[in-house]
Amino acid sequence: MYVQAANQISIQNPLSEEWIDAPLTCSDSYCRAQDPDFKPYVSPIEGRRMGKVLKRALAVSLKTLRDTGIEHPDAIITGTGLGSVESTEAFLLDMCKNGEQLLKPTHFMQSTHNTIGSLVAIQTKTHGYNSTYSHKQISFESALYDAFVQLRAGEIGNALVEGHDGTTPSYFRMLELIGYVGNEGQVACSEASMATLISSTPSDSDLCQLKAVKLMHRPSIDDWKNAIARLDLPSDTVVFTGENGHAANDRLYSDVLTALLPDVPTVRYKQWFGECYSASALGFYAAAHLLKAGKLPGNASAALLLTMDLDGDAALTLLAR
Amino acid sequence: MSKRLVITGAGVVSAIGVGKEQNLRALQTMQGGVALVSYLATEHTECRVGEVKLTNGEMMQMLGIAEDTPMVRTSLLGMLALREAVAEAGLSSEDIAESAFINGTTVGGMDMSEQFYLDFISETGAEGAPVHYIKTHDCGSSTDLIADYAGHFAMTTSISTACSSAANAFVLGARMIESGEFDRVVVGGSECLSKFHLNGFNTLMILDQEPCRPLDATRAGLNLGEGAAFLVLESEEAASRRGARVIGVLEGFGNACDAFHQTASSADGEGAFLAMSQALARAGVRPSDVDYVNCHGTGTPNNDPSEIAAMRRVFGNALPPFSSTKGFTGHTTSASGSIEAVFCLLALSHQFLPVSLNWSQPIEPDLIPVTQQTSVPARPIRRILCNAFGFGGNDTSLLFSKS
Repeated sequence: MYVQAANQISIQNPLSEEWIDAPLTCSDSYCRAQDPDFKPYVSPIEGRRMGKVLKRALAVSLKTLRDTGIEHPDAIITGTGLGSVESTEAFLLDMCKNGEQLLKPTHFMQSTHNTIGSLVAIQTKTHGYNSTYSHKQISFESALYDAFVQLRAGEIGNALVEGHDGTTPSYFRMLELIGYVGNEGQVACSEASMATLISSTPSDSDLCQLKAVKLMHRPSIDDWKNAIARLDLPSDTVVFTGENGHAANDRLYSDVLTALLPDVPTVRYKQWFGECYSASALGFYAAAHLLKAGKLPGNASAALLLTMDLDGDAALTLLAR
Repeated sequence: MSKRLVITGAGVVSAIGVGKEQNLRALQTMQGGVALVSYLATEHTECRVGEVKLTNGEMMQMLGIAEDTPMVRTSLLGMLALREAVAEAGLSSEDIAESAFINGTTVGGMDMSEQFYLDFISETGAEGAPVHYIKTHDCGSSTDLIADYAGHFAMTTSISTACSSAANAFVLGARMIESGEFDRVVVGGSECLSKFHLNGFNTLMILDQEPCRPLDATRAGLNLGEGAAFLVLESEEAASRRGARVIGVLEGFGNACDAFHQTASSADGEGAFLAMSQALARAGVRPSDVDYVNCHGTGTPNNDPSEIAAMRRVFGNALPPFSSTKGFTGHTTSASGSIEAVFCLLALSHQFLPVSLNWSQPIEPDLIPVTQQTSVPARPIRRILCNAFGFGGNDTSLLFSKS
């Protein structure tokens, strides 16, 4: 399987790989994404009715399809931890503050998690398989796993796989209240939109290959050991970790790394992109582009993306040149 | 399909009862569960809904969960259904440890979030607010609460495609087994009523204040419902290896996108047509081999004609018997795909056709759904197509057959 293209909107310059040589830094505990000019992807009239996450999803999806020359992907599979949280919150706040009598439909219509993947399908008139996963930190990997299973079985020839999460100021505050973000020394709580086109046939401009995706629930060290053993890792593999400066979160990674991958170089991609439910989509994106650019530590030929969360869900993804 | 996919356990909770036995009895005696809202604390007391007639506290007692444990209703409904499915399938803790769990939900923990949201975001008021409900707000958290109640699954994930969520859990689960990723995947969905989506549907003006009348010329909208259902899906080989009893077979499935509108279906039902056609093609059966269609049939002015247009494209003028069970349960949104899958399995094993409640006038002269419970169906029921369609034109169709 070949990763043909991948595009992002994040706290780095949007729809660009400038961060590889000149990453922007964010010293605040909360950082919104840098939005691009949406005009090439959505008309101003349509855009006015759409929440930010929807506009970003259209931009990264349409750019990825244009990059690859694919008009209608065989499948559109989306991962999102919270869906269009901006719309959900707008409807919820209106209801909580003003009661249940005078509510308006627009925000509700955009609040459903699969509004994002459906919008991409409606705009591109794509009737193929369409699904959306919402499973905390492994929402994106769940979507990727679905695509992987179907591509390997030959049920589809390509898939547009996406990861999207926005973070409103109040949602940031809520995540801060439960100690997930905003801790001393932790990366910024941020936003992420990413789309990638994965195909079973190679092209001239492929970023890398997708070798494996696996999801796990409360894995023991033995489970990790078995999962990693099955990957047949090249000796020059680099590990992309979701370490973010949150002590308990980082301990999850160090436990696995110390026990099973003690001498493997690591890349902490969240130093560039911050933390949100779809952060690992940007880890995937970064690994793919760094493989292509030959800019991994030691010019490594493979990147193992590890994702774990404090509630016990975990994923591993292997990309290789 | 390359591997035969069998179902070895099923559990269901809906407005017509807790467990398959109560649901079966209500379906066969035509006793609906839709009534004026009484458990959900909403201003819309005029609304008719299909509530599960249990408080959260009562469910926690049934489940043996300490009453001070933070819980969301979606998860409690799911636990009751999962417990029944696991018991029927006879899964040991070792069996569960090598199984995957896929839950379809959209509401997740919104029932609690909507009670405390203003406290959570207030500059001063968050102190004393039950902030643990922030952790249970999202879909994935509801899923893991359900999964962990039954044991230690090897993997869990959540599908959120609105009203087709649970049906799409079958689609992923089936592909995971076919491709050899897992021998066994527990699939289904769970969704409680929330003020959030009750009001959302209300703003879309698709709620009927009267009992809903799916597939009827006078239909004027849907009644929302709540519930959960989970099914144990296995490769036939794995099921026979552990000597499990087979209660049904998943012969085919299809998912397609209508790609027409976020909250409306196309007039020609393109997405639904594609989904049903794929399910039949995958099973390698002809339309005439289908003995009954359990329609999505919400009772909204828009859904039913679109679904019928799609059925006409699949079946021509020789439509098999069809009905919608939404009059019994209300529209259980993300859970509807698996709740109605359980109804289809009950119909197959007990050889009856569920009726459309509240039906009186055909949409077109020849469109007469099943409305009477006969002691013996006109022809044996061997194969059932079960539809679940969601917002965003997310259309899924599942084909079940007898064991």
